[in-house]
Amino acid sequence: MDRISHLALNEEGFIFDPLTGESFTVNQTGLFILKRLKEGKKERDIIEEITDTFDVSKEEAERDLTDFIEKLRSYRLI
Amino acid sequence: MDIKIGVSGINAVDNPGPGIGVAKSLKEVRDFRAEILGFAYDAMEPGIYMDWIIDRSFILPYPSGGHDSFIKRLLFIKENYGLDFFMSVLDSEIPVLIKYSTELENYGIRTFLPTSEQFRLRSKDKLDEIAKSIGVDIPKSEVVSSVDELIKAVERIGLPVMVKGAFYKAYRAYTKQEAVTYFSKIVAQWGYPVIVQQVVSGEEMNVVGAGDGEGGSLGMVGIRKIWITELGKIWTGVTIKNEKMLSSAEKFIERYGWRGAFELECIVDLKNDKVYLIEINPRFPAWSYFATGVGINIPANIIRKVYNLPVIEYKDYPVGKLYVRYTDDLVTDMERFQRIITRGESL
Repeated sequence: MDRISHLALNEEGFIFDPLTGESFTVNQTGLFILKRLKEGKKERDIIEEITDTFDVSKEEAERDLTDFIEKLRSYRLI
Repeated sequence: MDIKIGVSGINAVDNPGPGIGVAKSLKEVRDFRAEILGFAYDAMEPGIYMDWIIDRSFILPYPSGGHDSFIKRLLFIKENYGLDFFMSVLDSEIPVLIKYSTELENYGIRTFLPTSEQFRLRSKDKLDEIAKSIGVDIPKSEVVSSVDELIKAVERIGLPVMVKGAFYKAYRAYTKQEAVTYFSKIVAQWGYPVIVQQVVSGEEMNVVGAGDGEGGSLGMVGIRKIWITELGKIWTGVTIKNEKMLSSAEKFIERYGWRGAFELECIVDLKNDKVYLIEINPRFPAWSYFATGVGINIPANIIRKVYNLPVIEYKDYPVGKLYVRYTDDLVTDMERFQRIITRGESL
């Protein structure tokens, strides 16, 4: 089930899933990634945007994104 | 239009009846004026004292006392004070009211309840049939009437299991021993049969709704309970839209031509995209004001339907609205208490 496209995100990082009523909080980096995943962007494009926006290496961005996506998977959001 | 509406279940206590939420909903409408008669079974039911919602209260005899005392009491109220409609919200009253609905209607007291066939569908041993016809699942379950059958059912289903009464009570048993203890407890209190049910994992979600008796909906709202009390009663909740659950509720209304209010209790397993139907209640739940609060006034639509007023076609409701129950204090004179004790009426 595609839950991520239904998520309501607010600018402070509060995430609400209208399908299940669950809510989550994420930090600004998490919110940055979630917004892009919700738009259907590819992982490699997101990594590029992370390195453009934040002061991190490509490797670090890749690792963090993979970790974050794994976390989303564990909550069955993707 | 002025309508005198009797509402029961005004026991707004730690295990609240649905009456106060229903009465509040009826008080909010503008296209008719509802005068609320609160029907209580005990002088300590808080609704009797909540005079900004309940205009006048009456003590009723228990419906289990049979036709004479219960129906005659309603007729007495009708003759002396006026009573146009009885919005019954309690499981114990509904079968009696269904049985005598024609008689009551002849006296000018209207109801809007399921038919006796529809009422029987609520029985947990009928769930399988309903679930299949509305496109949802139910946890594996077996109806048992002896310890022997219970043990065999537990072996087939696998531990842990839920041990449930046909209408009331449910316990989770982790061992056969526990299952037997709960079985005896339910039999002693509620009698046979007992249902043994698989424990399914997922989120507990509910729907409140009402059918117009012709296959159409008078409104429905889906929620998830966020926080419950030790008695398992909702304290905080959130509106949600689980399409599969809501469409099965629509099918339920359509397929069975359901008349009146209902609550569907479901467990939604998102991982496997399954909706399990756990229970059907043929009445408003205690949290029904939540629906009114998000713009879907189901009790008012029932009255509109019965009195041929234009029914509001509710298309949508906002998701992510929060429901918060709270406790409050009220200080009042002894007078009302004395009157309800001595006369059985609050005014």
